[in-house]
Amino acid sequence: MVEEIQNKIQLEVDKYKAVQKDYHKALTQRQQLDGQLNENTAVKQELDLLQANAEVFKLIGPVLVKQDVEDAKQNVAKRMDYIRSELKRIDDMITSLDKKQDTHRETISKLQQQFQQIQPKN
Amino acid sequence: MAAKEGRVVQQIELSSLNLPQLMQLKQQLDQEIHMFLDTSRTLRMAQTKFQDSNDCLEKITPDSEGKTIMVPLTGSMYVPGRIANGKSVILDIGTGYYVQKDVDGAKDYFKRKVTFIEEQIDKVMQLSMEKSKLSRGIYAFFSSQILEVVYQAMYGSEAQKELNFAHPFTDNKSNKSRIYENGLSRRMVRQQTFGEARQ
Repeated sequence: MVEEIQNKIQLEVDKYKAVQKDYHKALTQRQQLDGQLNENTAVKQELDLLQANAEVFKLIGPVLVKQDVEDAKQNVAKRMDYIRSELKRIDDMITSLDKKQDTHRETISKLQQQFQQIQPKN
Repeated sequence: MAAKEGRVVQQIELSSLNLPQLMQLKQQLDQEIHMFLDTSRTLRMAQTKFQDSNDCLEKITPDSEGKTIMVPLTGSMYVPGRIANGKSVILDIGTGYYVQKDVDGAKDYFKRKVTFIEEQIDKVMQLSMEKSKLSRGIYAFFSSQILEVVYQAMYGSEAQKELNFAHPFTDNKSNKSRIYENGLSRRMVRQQTFGEARQ
């Protein structure tokens, strides 16, 4: 009986740890996306300030390729949309992982209580 | 996100936490403060870079067209070159995009960047100040709790009542997570302890 519960606790703790790992991974991913979004927003602001005949270049590999201002704006906007959707996806993932963590934590504490209850009898 | 967390922390009733929890809370806060300081340092470095670029632009005038300069190929190797265009420069605005601007426009760009970063630093510093205030408060509360425990161990519950009466910190019923400034309240408790001991 004691061993059974101990095994259960171990199993649950392992699961909890795995979820925790995923959670941290998601958090770092979120931070990265946040940074990218910030950078793109700054670039967009800069591009919006430009006149239509301004010279814009895009760095492709080692060369600067001339690009249309409108094209550049559209590109950046598209990228920002993509990053926003990714952010939303990650945020949803984080909340669901958060809930998962809570349920695991609850089961662990319940199991621990059970364990303590039968412990003195043996 | 950090700001949201901060508000949640402030709503926690300090008296409802036990000592290890208080310690953990303080450690967490201290960690955050560290992070904020690191961030502001990084921001400061970025700001200096923009400022340096701005200073460099002062040297580029239409007059400098055709003048020779030493172009760094690596950190320690230079080749002579000639300034082909003294009116405009190409700026890296991030994410692989470069823009050609005239010198005044470029200066304007760097000035904007510098003020932008200044604003960010201010925000971070303010957050960090709030957190360190909180951390100090928690420390004050924590030490008062420790003293209470020590006092109880030394004089039992009878003496404890007297102290409760005299000192708001240890009056648990009315203690709604009041955070006291560090020095004064702790000194009060200490004087109390010594006074009682002498009697």
